Amino acid sequence: MQKQEHTIALSTTKGIDVGKLERELSAMWATATDSGAGGTRSGVTRACVLNLVACTTHYDDRGALDDLLDEVIEHHPCRALVLITERDALEARLDAYVSTRCQLSSKGAKQICGEQVTIEAAGRVVETAASAVAPLLIPDVPVFLWWKDIPQYDDKLFKKLVALADRVIVDSRSFDQPYEDLLHLAEAVNGRSKGIHFSDLNWGRLTAWRTLLAGFWDVPEYRPHLDNIDRVHIAYEQPRENSAPVAVGTLLAVGWLAAQLNWELATSETTPTEGGMQRIGFRKGERLITIELQPVPVLNEGDPMIVSTSLTASEGDAEFYVKLKPERTKLVTGARIGGDAHDAGHVLTYEAKSEGERLSRELNFLARDTAYEKALTKASRIIEALRLHQR
Amino acid sequence: MVIFGASGDLAKRKLIPALYRLVQQRFLPAEFAIVGLSRTPMSHDEYHARMKSAVEEFSETKGVDAEVWDSFAAGMYYLPSDIGDAESYRKLGTMLDEIDRERGTQGNRLFYLSIAPEFYAEAIRQLGAAELTKSKTGGWVRVIVEKPFGIDLETARHLNKEILQVLDESQVYRIDHYLGKETVQNLLVFRFANGIFEPLWNRQYIDHVQITNAETVGVEGRGGYYETSGVVRDMIQNHVFQVLSLVAMEPPAHLGAEAVRDEKVKALSAARPFTSERVRAECVRGQYGGGSIAGQPVVAYREEKGVAPDSTTETFAMITMFIDNWRWSGVPFYVRSGKRLPKRVTEIAIQFRAAPLELFGETMMEGVTPNQLIIRIQPDEGITMRFAAKIPGQQTRIRSVNMDFRYGASFGMKLAEAYERLILDCILGDSTLYARNDMAERGWELVMPILDEWARSETETAFPNYEAGTWGPEASHQIIESQGRHWRKP
Repeated sequence: MQKQEHTIALSTTKGIDVGKLERELSAMWATATDSGAGGTRSGVTRACVLNLVACTTHYDDRGALDDLLDEVIEHHPCRALVLITERDALEARLDAYVSTRCQLSSKGAKQICGEQVTIEAAGRVVETAASAVAPLLIPDVPVFLWWKDIPQYDDKLFKKLVALADRVIVDSRSFDQPYEDLLHLAEAVNGRSKGIHFSDLNWGRLTAWRTLLAGFWDVPEYRPHLDNIDRVHIAYEQPRENSAPVAVGTLLAVGWLAAQLNWELATSETTPTEGGMQRIGFRKGERLITIELQPVPVLNEGDPMIVSTSLTASEGDAEFYVKLKPERTKLVTGARIGGDAHDAGHVLTYEAKSEGERLSRELNFLARDTAYEKALTKASRIIEALRLHQR
Repeated sequence: MVIFGASGDLAKRKLIPALYRLVQQRFLPAEFAIVGLSRTPMSHDEYHARMKSAVEEFSETKGVDAEVWDSFAAGMYYLPSDIGDAESYRKLGTMLDEIDRERGTQGNRLFYLSIAPEFYAEAIRQLGAAELTKSKTGGWVRVIVEKPFGIDLETARHLNKEILQVLDESQVYRIDHYLGKETVQNLLVFRFANGIFEPLWNRQYIDHVQITNAETVGVEGRGGYYETSGVVRDMIQNHVFQVLSLVAMEPPAHLGAEAVRDEKVKALSAARPFTSERVRAECVRGQYGGGSIAGQPVVAYREEKGVAPDSTTETFAMITMFIDNWRWSGVPFYVRSGKRLPKRVTEIAIQFRAAPLELFGETMMEGVTPNQLIIRIQPDEGITMRFAAKIPGQQTRIRSVNMDFRYGASFGMKLAEAYERLILDCILGDSTLYARNDMAERGWELVMPILDEWARSETETAFPNYEAGTWGPEASHQIIESQGRHWRKP
């Protein structure tokens, strides 16, 4: 990725000078086009398939955020508007910088480039910073708001930025009060207005698991057994910093299973057990389904993950499982019916994705994710049931 | 060219920089001369110096070429004068005769009235009395009249009557700088030089039209003027109606000024009149409260300098128009214009009807809207066509994508300022891009019932009713949404 950056003051006493900012960007593009960005002789194509508004309170993250956006712009040439806020600053300050970002092209090919506007807001102007973002959005392409911190749904800046967006991206794994924050998220998602949809990077982490588990239902001879599942066991790495008994990602996975299979929560069957395991009861008709959530220590420095999921039907002695191999780069699936292994097991690569790749993936989706919404709703019911037992 | 109000803001910011650019581009002959008139006493040289710094400050061209400027300034004169004083016009006549002799301007005269509107009639009367409205040597005499052209229908009619007692309509050029913008001019080309759009340009294929004219600025120290005006008088009855008429008009018989202007007036003549009921149900007025623009807090309109603390002047208006003719019957034209909106933009959005059958289910259509054609007048002038496309991948997922034309990218040249084109057209005698008397009056005829109804129900106004930095009052969204449509986010 080649980067051309101009650090120039684009703010005045009347706020950010949008006209000047656009002129600066145009001039940078003209330079890039004349010389080929980064000194190459190939042409440069200015492209914008979406607006990405990334909002964070952490100045220290700026370098890492720039690197991450390099990855994103490679997949989605866009206008990235990075808003860094410092609410507690005594002095009000509003600054803006512009840069263009081009991916390296093969020899002679045109480079597809995006652009970044960084806005730093401090003190009382943080509340009004959304009005600096609005005029910088490129019209007629989707607007994604990536709220890097924990969403505060009553926060004026959050509400104003949400109103500008078509889709809001959060990461429920970063919640510091996971149960409370997930309940608030569910409330916001269910109360969404004017076609604004939510994405959760944590949901993206479950995609491979969900795909493989759902794959069992594609096999006709498995289905009678899958209709009789009465036990689900999920072993998951509990994030060290997580204060909740069950990791949010695991709750979303359970919520997804329950929502897709029309299982109803049986609150009386939901109990904590020894060894930190949580037991959650569901019913479908007369059938009771017990879900055991077993925390295990985090095995290495990587992202805490689900380690294994098995679906068991006592009747017919059937088990279907997906497990993470120890090297953490492959998932293996298997089925056992009546005590016999029914398949040799599939091994699929499972590459841990970087945050930039995960974000890029979310930018592919604009429509409402009903599977996520249903899973989130179920997960919030589970939290309420777990809390009932904690009292 | 004689500029009335030669030391004023318009002359400094627009007229002199436009004339300098025209000279630079060799559009004006070497004989061309300017006479500046205003009450401020100053010499020719002082006037040159002031105008030079104005060009340096306001011209889009970087820097002033000393040689070109010297040659331009050699034909620039200044005459201290009083609009109501006959002696001033006698002196002007003498000066113009001298300039004719010295520079060979052949008696061709263009008077530009860049003065307060209450002085238009007086200036023209005095020009007539001084026999300056007819050339002694067979040249032409034309008068450009700035906006606002009247403050209501009655004053506009009165002004037309007074002007036409002295001048022939062919000599009068009522300027509307929106018509000088490239994209507005391109509307005629886009519609009538292409074969593919015009067959779709009717009620059969178009669901509705949205015209947005948004400013981020407030009244910028002109509170006193704006209190007597408001957005309907200031923007809608002139600029917006000009744009709307170009969208709605029938193809002209030819590109002559009268043929084009005939069709524009015809389109506005077919506009459904506003009744009290229609104003209440289909129009919204607003006034901004405090809020923020470009990241900084801004005050409410009522707190602006020169504005009454209980002012009921509208800074935002949304009106729903119908053009009741064969082409447009039943197609709403939603128009909104306002100050202190989130971004500066003027655009026309043509929304086509949805495909007759929803072959692809809702889950495949990721936020897909029916086809739209967006004509961006300012800034970043261009045209965008939006249509649905399949997102690459194994599944069928559909999203709206854009096909863009941008003036900056396609032609790689800086667009001319509106005043450059309009002044040049007037010099060349082409009035196509100027408003005719009937157009000016028709604009007022249409908006008067709205203004009257709002004046009658003044006590019902709960202002401010929108926060600065938002897209106007909630009611403007409710009206369009009650009809199953949404305002775009331009």
